[in-house]
Amino acid sequence: MIQFELSDDQKQIQALARSFVRDNVIPVAAQHDREETYPATVVEAAHAVGLLNVSVPESVGGLGLSMLDEALIGEEFGYGCMGIYTILMASELGIMPLLLAATQEQQERFLGPLVEGPRLAAFALSEPNNGSDAGGLRTRAVFDGDEIVISGTKTWISNGGLADFNVVFASFEPALKHKGTVAVVVEKDRPGLSTNKLHGKLGQRASPTYEMFFDDVRVPVSNMLGEKGDGFKIAMRTLDKTRIPVAAGAVGVLRRALDESRKYANEREAFGRTIAQFQAIQFKLANMKIALETARLQTWYAAWLADTGRPHAEAAAIAKAYASDSAFDAAQEAINVFGGYGYMNEYPVEKLMRDVKLNQIFEGTNEIQRVVIARHVLQ
Amino acid sequence: MKLITVLKQVPDAEARIRAGAAGVDLDGVTFVIDGMDEYGVEEAIRLREAGNEVEIVALALGPARYEEAIRTALALGADRAVHIETDVDLDPISQARVLAQVVQQEGADMVLVGGKQADWDSAALGPALAEVLGWPHSDWTTKLELAAGSVTVEHDTDDGHESLSMPLPAVITTQQGLNEPRYPTLPNIMKAKRKELAKRALDEFGAGAGLTQITSQQIQTRERLGKVIEGDAASAAAELVRLLQSEAKVL
Repeated sequence: MIQFELSDDQKQIQALARSFVRDNVIPVAAQHDREETYPATVVEAAHAVGLLNVSVPESVGGLGLSMLDEALIGEEFGYGCMGIYTILMASELGIMPLLLAATQEQQERFLGPLVEGPRLAAFALSEPNNGSDAGGLRTRAVFDGDEIVISGTKTWISNGGLADFNVVFASFEPALKHKGTVAVVVEKDRPGLSTNKLHGKLGQRASPTYEMFFDDVRVPVSNMLGEKGDGFKIAMRTLDKTRIPVAAGAVGVLRRALDESRKYANEREAFGRTIAQFQAIQFKLANMKIALETARLQTWYAAWLADTGRPHAEAAAIAKAYASDSAFDAAQEAINVFGGYGYMNEYPVEKLMRDVKLNQIFEGTNEIQRVVIARHVLQ
Repeated sequence: MKLITVLKQVPDAEARIRAGAAGVDLDGVTFVIDGMDEYGVEEAIRLREAGNEVEIVALALGPARYEEAIRTALALGADRAVHIETDVDLDPISQARVLAQVVQQEGADMVLVGGKQADWDSAALGPALAEVLGWPHSDWTTKLELAAGSVTVEHDTDDGHESLSMPLPAVITTQQGLNEPRYPTLPNIMKAKRKELAKRALDEFGAGAGLTQITSQQIQTRERLGKVIEGDAASAAAELVRLLQSEAKVL
């Protein structure tokens, strides 16, 4: 049996996210993009209605929403502003390693507070000289009695400097490569930790991105997730899941590109008729619709696999690569529909293209997604 | 005290509605809780938040799909719900006769219902309910204050607005301006699942086929006259003014 119907709860979650985005995100998206500012009031409002940190388990006071629920929320936020969505999404990314590998005590200590206020988590894996090659981490974790001493630099960390805690991946024994890594929760106020907000991003400029410097930062061994040697495995299992919300956000961008293009094509006239009456424009709209429907189906399918405990790495990689590639194509076609106006930031479509470019890159570039997919094909 | 909020589920204002030979085709249409009724749910919650001891019961008469709108009311803050499930289309007076029985069985002190129902654009349900119950009624209410055993309201009239005071129980119809409805929060959406939603059947209430029958349905479309005024600018303008005055009667 197969069915595509959302549950009543899911329809309500979707409706809530849609109204929230319409009233709270869309009106401020362009301003935060232009000014490269953090939308604190949006994050506070999202917390107030329960849309922030939705994956925190019920056992520690959260809602414990599923990946499909998260995909529904992600599409709505992506529709409004992919940059603002990345703040929420990156917080769920910081939570995921704890869902996979933390003890109940660790979940209470770190995840419990995340539902009490507009607080964020973050995931610190990338380094200045190391991105896709996650096994080659240069950040060091030295075990010293009942403490771990962390030194090194992380970069491209969404929410990094704002988050209550970062899950930091480091190597305690470089010779062991992947098996010499650990995942450690580092709270914001640990001495020796400093952060720097990066400026000059092409898109997603509402989302704060940081580089982080660890200068012999000491945390108790009780902050380590799983066992010594589990770091790489935890990072990969996390990304196998969190690529689904990246895809969902891209589906939202795609839907926005189609909506804006349809509206404009019905208004703009040329040669005595609306441009929607020309097949050249109709084909663009049709291609966007094809991409929207198929990207959403693949995203929901990957989410369903993850929620039902089935293998989902390949499906998530397909969803992430396909949704973000086709959303980028749709956004740039939307600019073509708008012509010269599409190139101006007075209209919303150029931002869609700048924003969704990042969905092709973060949480594993789309080249890495294809490596993952090919590995499954050749298995 | 007990407050009953009567609600409907109606097509989303942005939905495209088609009519065919068999009537209005609602296939593929998104439905939402009627915005006018939402003001009533919100007002009931605000009365509780103002410190009044109230139980809020959401009451709806309609097809199975209404359950979504009822769940929204529960997520917003209603304590429990009664759903009289039926696919029969009843006119507002017949609806009022059914709903009034539940209101009486519940022993409610106040009924809040939208000033107008967005599905058939009827403003009759609230007044009809007051008539069947024999209760005082305020329509198009924009302000509401509870006192011991009575309620003071402001409501719109053709010329402005007036203040009324009436004993409870009473029927209040709600509209824009009364309040700003909130979002149901995610935690409350999840909690709403565990709230009681009692299902009742229409035949428990002795309702017949209703007082009116729908014989045909059409979607109103704007028809263009396609009239072109000939002549020079001055005489064409004079003719246009004459047509606007005597035929279109808009001047």
